[in-house]
Parts: sequence; C-alpha cells; structure tokens
Amino acid sequence: MKHFDYARPDSFEAASAVLTAEKGSEIIAGGTDLLGVLKERILPEYPSKLVDIKHIEGAEGIAFDGSTLKIGATTKLTAVAGSEIVKEHAPLLAQAAYSVATPLIRNIATVGGNVCQDVRCWYYRYPHEIGGRLNCARKGGDRCYALLGDNRYHSVFGGRKLKTTPCQKECPASTDIPAYMEQIRKGDWDKAADILLQANPIPAITARVCAHFCQDRCNRCESDESVAVSHVERTVGDYVLENAARFYAPPAAESGKSVAVIGSGPSGLTAAYFLRKAGNKVTVYDSKEEAGGMLMYAIPAYRLPKDIVRQQTKALAAMGIDFVLNTQVGKDIAPADLEKRYDSVFYATGAWKRRIVGLAGEELTTFGLDFLVEVEKWFSGRLGDDVLVTGGGNVAMDVAITAKRLGAKKVTMACVESRGEMPASKEEIARAEEEGVVIMPSWGLSKVVEEGGSIKGMELKKCTGVYDENHRFNPQYDENDKIIVQAGTILMAIGQLVDLSFLDEKYQLQLTRGGLIAVADDDEMSTSRPGIFAGGDATLGPATVVQGVATGRRAAWGMCHYLGVPDCKGGTWTGATRNAFITYDPDAAQKTEPSRLKELPAPERGIDKEDSSSLTREEAACEAGRCLNCGCYAVNPSDLSPALIALGATIVTNKREVPAEAFFTEALCISEALKPGEIVTAITMPSVKGAVAHYDKFRLRDAIDFAIVSVATILKAEGGKFTYARVTVGGAAPVPIRLTKVEEYLVGKALTQETADAAADLAMEGSLPLAHNAFKIKQLRTYVQRAIMRLA
Amino acid sequence: MDVQSIAMTVNGREYEFSVGTRFGQVPPEETLVETLRRRLELTGAKQSCSEGACGCCTVILNGDAVPSCMMLTVDADGADILTIEGLEDPATGQLDPIQQAFIDAAAFQCGYCTPGIIMALKALLNKNPAPTEKEVDEALSGNYCRCVSHYHVFDAVRDLIGAGKEGE
Ligand SMILES: Cc1cc2nc3c(=O)[nH]c(=O)nc-3n(C[C@H](O)[C@H](O)[C@H](O)COP(=O)(O)OP(=O)(O)OC[C@H]3O[C@@H](n4cnc5c(N)ncnc54)[C@H](O)[C@@H]3O)c2cc1C
Ligand code: SF4
Ligand code: SF4
Ligand code: FES
Ligand code: FES
Repeated sequence: MKHFDYARPDSFEAASAVLTAEKGSEIIAGGTDLLGVLKERILPEYPSKLVDIKHIEGAEGIAFDGSTLKIGATTKLTAVAGSEIVKEHAPLLAQAAYSVATPLIRNIATVGGNVCQDVRCWYYRYPHEIGGRLNCARKGGDRCYALLGDNRYHSVFGGRKLKTTPCQKECPASTDIPAYMEQIRKGDWDKAADILLQANPIPAITARVCAHFCQDRCNRCESDESVAVSHVERTVGDYVLENAARFYAPPAAESGKSVAVIGSGPSGLTAAYFLRKAGNKVTVYDSKEEAGGMLMYAIPAYRLPKDIVRQQTKALAAMGIDFVLNTQVGKDIAPADLEKRYDSVFYATGAWKRRIVGLAGEELTTFGLDFLVEVEKWFSGRLGDDVLVTGGGNVAMDVAITAKRLGAKKVTMACVESRGEMPASKEEIARAEEEGVVIMPSWGLSKVVEEGGSIKGMELKKCTGVYDENHRFNPQYDENDKIIVQAGTILMAIGQLVDLSFLDEKYQLQLTRGGLIAVADDDEMSTSRPGIFAGGDATLGPATVVQGVATGRRAAWGMCHYLGVPDCKGGTWTGATRNAFITYDPDAAQKTEPSRLKELPAPERGIDKEDSSSLTREEAACEAGRCLNCGCYAVNPSDLSPALIALGATIVTNKREVPAEAFFTEALCISEALKPGEIVTAITMPSVKGAVAHYDKFRLRDAIDFAIVSVATILKAEGGKFTYARVTVGGAAPVPIRLTKVEEYLVGKALTQETADAAADLAMEGSLPLAHNAFKIKQLRTYVQRAIMRLA
Repeated sequence: MDVQSIAMTVNGREYEFSVGTRFGQVPPEETLVETLRRRLELTGAKQSCSEGACGCCTVILNGDAVPSCMMLTVDADGADILTIEGLEDPATGQLDPIQQAFIDAAAFQCGYCTPGIIMALKALLNKNPAPTEKEVDEALSGNYCRCVSHYHVFDAVRDLIGAGKEGE
C-alpha cells in the first residue's frame, strides 16, 4: 500500500476535527473494506491520513434500555451475530450480521464500516496494477462497463444517475438526452417532448442543422457508434410541431411585463419562447420579411425546409408572441425608444456582415452568405460553369453544394486549413465530395485574376500552417508556391462579422467590445446596461444554432430574474433526479449499428427538397433503445443495510440522527450521504419481539460473493392472516429497496401459497434484468415465497 | 492522537515497534502479515489473495482468528497474537494435536493454505472443544484450498474431535 499517516483519536469530536481539518483524511474502522480499496488504489484520491475510530471510548457495545436497541459503530459483526440481546430484539440483524463474509472478516469488521462500505462492482474494483485503471463512471470517468459487459451481479431494478452524462455535457443547450430517450423507450412521447423543450424550444430545427456535439462524446463511441441523437431528436421535434397547439400553449397567467426581442434567429426565437412561457408580453422584431433569421434565409432548404421554420414561428406566434417584421431597429425604431417602450430588451441580431480580406479584385467576388440568401437570383444560370468557393466551414459547404446543385459544372473549394483542421463537420465534407465538389485544403487566397473587370479565377498560395505556437489562428504561406484556379464566379465564405451599426454611438460605446455585444459572464447574458440583454452570434461571432438556443434561454432566465418574474425555467425536469432509478433496454442496446436517415440519391437532390427524411416513431424508438442511460448499475453491497431498513432503524452520527431508509437511499454513494466530518457513531432500533424475521441471502462462495440477492422480512400473523409485514431487498438495486407494495398487499391476507405467489409477483414489479442477471429475479421470487410460507 | 510506538505479543514474546517512515520503523500502511513475515520472519502465515478472501494469512489475535492481510500492524497495538509457529511446544518441539492430526490424515497437498486452516481451527477449538460438523464448516468458511484438500481436512478434524460428533 502507498503511504498514509495515521491518527488515533479518543473521541468522536477529536476524530471529526481531524476529518474536517485535513483534506484527504478517511475513517478506518476494521479496515476490511478500506484496505482492499487502498491496495487496489481505486479511490479517485488516495487518502493522506487514516483516522482510526476503534479506540474511541463507548463506541463499541450492545445495549437494550427497555425500548431501544443500541449498537455502537465499532462493534464487531461477530459480536452482533452472537449477541443474545440482538437475537432477542432484532433477530433479523443478528442473521444479517452472521451472513456477512466469513468468520475471519467478521472478527474484525465493524457495524459502522459495514453500512459505510464502498460498492463491490468488479469493474469498479478492478486493480489499478493490472493493465491500468478502469475509470468507470463511479470512479470519475464517464462510462459504465457493466452495461454492455458482465453484469450478472448488477442491479435488476435499473441504475442511478451519477452526474451529467458526457452527451449532455457536450450539448451547448445541455439537453438531458438520456432522460428523453428513456421516455421514448417507455412510449411516452409527450414527456420526451417536454424534457427536450425545457432545454431547447426548436428541436425540429436543431435536429436538422445542429452539428450534434453530443454524439462526439457519447459513451457508445468506445464500443461501436454513437447513439444517433440528432435523428431521434428530429422525430421528437416533428412530433412537437405536429402537436404544436399542445406544446406551444399560451401561458396560464400574464406577468404584466413586456419585453422586446430583436432578431428572430434561433437565439431570438428561444428567448421569446421562454419569456412568453413565463407570462411576459413578447414582441419580436426582425428586419426581414419572414421570421427565422439565418434559419429562414441562409441555411439551404435541402437541409432545413422553409416550411419547418414557418411551422415553428407559427407555433410560437400562437403562444401569443408578436412578430413585427420588415422593421429595422436603428432605422425604423431607435434602440432608445425600445428601451422606453419595453421593460427589458434582448438583442440577437446575428452575424451577417461580409468580411473583407483586402485582396486585389475582391470587389468582383460574391459574399457567400448573400449568395445563399438570394439563391433564387442565381437560378438563372448566372453562376457559370466554374465556381470557386473559399472557406472550409459549414457555410462554405452549404455554398459549394448549393452552387453544384444550381448546375455549376465544376465547383472547387479552397481553404487555408488542412483537411483534418477544416471546421466543417465530417458529414458535410463527405456530402460535398459525394456531390462532386473538389476540395483543396491548405490553400490561401492571393489575388483575384481578372480581365477587363470580369473574373477569370483566383490565384492561391500554399498555406504551410494555420496556427502559430500559441494555437492562435495565424496562417503562414509559402509565397513561392502559387497556382491559379479558373473560375467565372467566386463565392467568399470565409466567415461573417457582426454588424452593430444599427446601435447609435452612445449604445455602441456602452454595449460593444471587440465588434461584439459584450455580456456578463454570469449565465444571464446581461449587458452593461440594466435591462438590456444579448445572445447568439451578436455576442459570440459566427457560432452555431444550438449556441444561439443556449444563449437565448439563458438570456430569458436572466431577463425574468431582472424583471422579478418567477419560474421562467418552465419547471426544471426532475424525472431523472438521482433518487429515481434509471433504465435502459438491454436487448435493444445490443444493436451496434445506429439508425440512419433515408437520404435521396445524389442525382435526385435539389435546392428545395429536403435531402433526408425523418425516422418514423418506431425507428426512433429503436434508436433510443441504443442509449444506455449512462449511470451506475451496481448494487449496494452491505448485508446490514436492508435489514436495518426493515427494522426501522436509525443511523446515529456525531451530527444527526437519520432514518436508515433515508441514509441508504437518498445518496447513491455513502461517501456522499455523510457530510464532511460526519461519523456514524451508533445504530438504534426498536425491538421487534414476537415477529418472524429472516434474512435470506443468495451467494455462491462465502468469502468473495456478496449478497447476489437478499431478502429481509419481518412478518407477523394472527388467526391465519398477516397483520404486519416489512420486506426489503438487498443486492438487487442501486440502493436497498423496501417493497412497500408487497407489504401493503400482505396485511390481511391469508397464509397461503396463493398469497405467497401473488406477493412474489408484486416483488418483481418494475424489475428490468440486464443481459446476464435475470436469474436474480427468480431468486428474489423464491425468497419472498419462502419467507411467507414459513408462517403457513 | 498520533501514534509513536506500538507493542504486541507474538507467540508469547513481546515486541515493541517505533511507528514512522524512517528506516526500521513500522509505517502505518504496513499490514500485520507483512510485519510477521518480513520483520519477525514468521513466514507460516501466507499472503495469498491479499483481500481477506482466502484465509491463508489467518492468525489468532486476542483469541479470534483474523486475516492478517486485512489488518494494519498499528491496529494490532496491544494485541496478543498467535501464529502457526507458536503452536508447537517450544521446549519439546511437540506439535499441537491439530498439527499432528493434519499430518496423520495427510490433510494438505501443497500446504499453502494449511497454516491458515489450522489457526482458524485452533481458534474454534479453544472456544468450543467439541464443535459440530456445521460449526467446523462455518469456522473454516473463510479458508480456501486450491488443492482441494478439504475432504482430508474434515477427516483430520473428525479424528481429532472424535467420531461421536458426526451428524449433529
Ligand atoms: C472477503 C470479503 C467478503 C465480504 N463479504 C461481505 C458480505 O457478504 N456482506 C457484507 O455486507 N459485507 C461483506 N464484506 C464487507 C465487510 O463486511 C465490510 O468490509 C466490513 O463490514 C466493513 O467494516 P470495517 O469495520 O472493516 O470497515 P472499514 O473497512 O474500516 O471501513 C469501510 C468504509 O467505511 C468508512 N467507515 C467506517 N466506519 C465508519 C463510521 N463509523 N462512520 C463513517 N464511516 C465509516 C470507512 O472510511 C471506509 O470508507 C466483505 C469484505 C471482504 C474483505
Ligand atoms: S456499475 Fe457502477 S461501479 Fe460498476 S462499472 Fe458501472 S458505473 Fe462503475
Ligand atoms: S449512451 Fe445515451 S446517455 Fe450514454 S452518452 Fe450516449 S446518448 Fe448519452
Ligand atoms: S491473504 Fe489474507 S485472506 Fe487471503
Ligand atoms: S493444500 Fe494447496 S492450497 Fe490448500
């Protein structure tokens, strides 16, 4: 073992003081669990000091005061198992203690250590020394190895969420992906939609255009392929639009506040939704004829049909959001007037301005974004045969593919980045190449080649590196390596700028920094002017739709906060809280191939028709089945815990008294159930004389198999009928569980085989075996039946 | 609160160790089996699984059989410890009856688990000179033998405590 210091305090106060004062100190009682943990080095942080509590006076011993049985925390399990007092007042506990491990272990293991022991998942316990650490989700990593691995000892009642899953962490809008996938598996599309809408009110749109960052970090990537989150989201998004009246209902009550949203792109629409949901009067201004911003005007319809955008804005309008279009702030209405007229204003005006590089002949080229906005004007064959697109991002891809589909014979794309560095998503690059776009990575712009005011092509120079040693974008060129690409049209898609000229001088000075609207770093998107908020590209520079959604939502919350309007979060989703067990579908999860969208074959693709079609609801449900609902599926290993819950025991610490059920079930890890410096000092429980109590435990080898399933029962019967029942189960769920339904059912029932069978059926309710542990459920049934028939 | 030194009796002999990380001191992370084997050269207790599961490291501590791999030496402060080396009569070299019974019944093969099994049995017989077969079973449930000498171990125990107890 690695070194640690050692202290031996003589009171719980002194022990607690050390634990609080010295970070990295840990309690050692018998050490039978802790030494294993230390030897295998499985803790994220190896303790620097062990605080031995065995020498604390009065911490060991068993006493009954006439009503309460009290067992000190450092009492050995052998003593508990053999104690006449315990056998008399809590025989269940004596049995449970006797069932622990082997006599060798019981001779040193303590009661406190038993209830506080660490989990016994063999992946978790995998020795550090053998082939490296298995950093599972419970050990600080992201992934649960048991889900697709050997899970014969794991939970048959679902798992428990440990922390934000990597997919959710990667999602800029932090959508609770596993939570809505779970609802889809359960067939509850309404709830799935609600969960999704709480993070993102325009899912039909994001599903089509988001670069789905979530998928890059999906835990499935390590075994096969990511869950196709965006495809599932798309089906949910379509469902939301199909049932728009339900999902975009006007708020129940008005807040009495009115707000203005400037810009109707993703950020503006999102802010408008959350602001309206909170009961505010919302007016959205946009300079264009139709709402949607980039969604409507820049993103090609083959990726995002205009109709979807129209349905979305219509749904939002039906919530009572006013859209004032064809109105340019700064020209038609002054920012200062807005501020007077509304209680709060949100700016999400995007990034629409052309970036000028300063090339000779640049004025002859076309701004790529203008090309997309005015695409109809190019239908007429104005494009010519040879087109050069400059830039390597997703906008450049949209421009290149659109140009190709408009009939250009040859579309060449030149970007300074090398292939691996291109900012466009891999899918988009692949699509462009599939359609015949020739990509020339690592070429920078030198000058436009012209003849009498018409474009002949572009001279390019070799780019030798894009980033300097400080990882800043700073391309280097080889001026001696140049080529000319022939082209009649040059479409410049090298990024857009934010245009804030609509703000008058006073505002510009106050609100902007570095060409963007500056917002506070406090998750509320507030500017330096009280009541003025901003989001989307106007604050970020050209970013993504989902970042627009994320900032729009944050701004809406910030504005509600500013306005003193409550509950604008639309009720945060609590279904996947740590208390509830989470589930996945072990059969469906075996599918290694993700579902794919049906795509039109390349020759049939056009400008206006969507390339792909959504998954059906069945197909989406099947894909949702691949989501593992990442969490921990290990079981609580302690034999005493289920018995203590059945006995209605109380865990006494140096700081408080907690009912055993709360202590063992509220937090997944006991290390989290205990507050800093908290030590279990004793366990107390009422006497249950006169009941038939049993602890039935299934295991194969005493020494190393913990309870594979255990059932603790306390039953009373009178006149052939049950009058009292307590049934708890260990080894089957992330925490020991009480089968309240079985308990309620039993009272008043006759002591018969039928009762036993029905109780066994109830015990299995809600069970969800993993690939290798269905046998546990049979065992559970048998034990419940056996316990009941003991009284018959 | 800090522990400077510890004392223990092993096989009737008293030892005192200074606790710390300097040369010759017992560091807090040293386990009892390491101290017995490396410092005192009492190599009868074997370190096998190192996680409390096999019983090869069993010694008797204050009358109870315990796995010495799952105990810190500092935790054995003040303890009275008996290892397999302490079973035979120091003056005559006479073996403990359990040891003799094992030899007579050839109750081992490689012998790696044997000291642990004998110590677990010794602790049991000290407390309960006439255990039932079930009690023997239970007392030895933490001792594993890779060579499958269990059957012979039970033969030895039966020889030792008398056939009369069978079946109880
Ligand atoms: C081979 C083997 C088999 C086992 N089989 C079983 C089994 O079948 N069933 C079963 O239930 N257990 C089993 N165990 C676990 C064993 O029961 C526990 O290790 C033992 O009860 C823990 O007690 P301890 O005093 O040794 O705890 P320690 O190892 O000293 O402590 C365990 C953990 O609890 C903390 N802790 C200890 N006391 C307190 C306290 N008073 N307040 C707050 N935190 C505290 C420690 O910091 C540590 O993290 C087995 C262990 C081994 C090695
Ligand atoms: S069940 Fe829990 S402890 Fe085991 S591998 Fe999964 S996350 Fe880790
Ligand atoms: S499997 Fe599901 S919960 Fe796990 S990372 Fe992937 S999408 Fe998220
Ligand atoms: S080595 Fe100690 S029990 Fe196995
Ligand atoms: S005799 Fe070889 S391990 Fe038991």
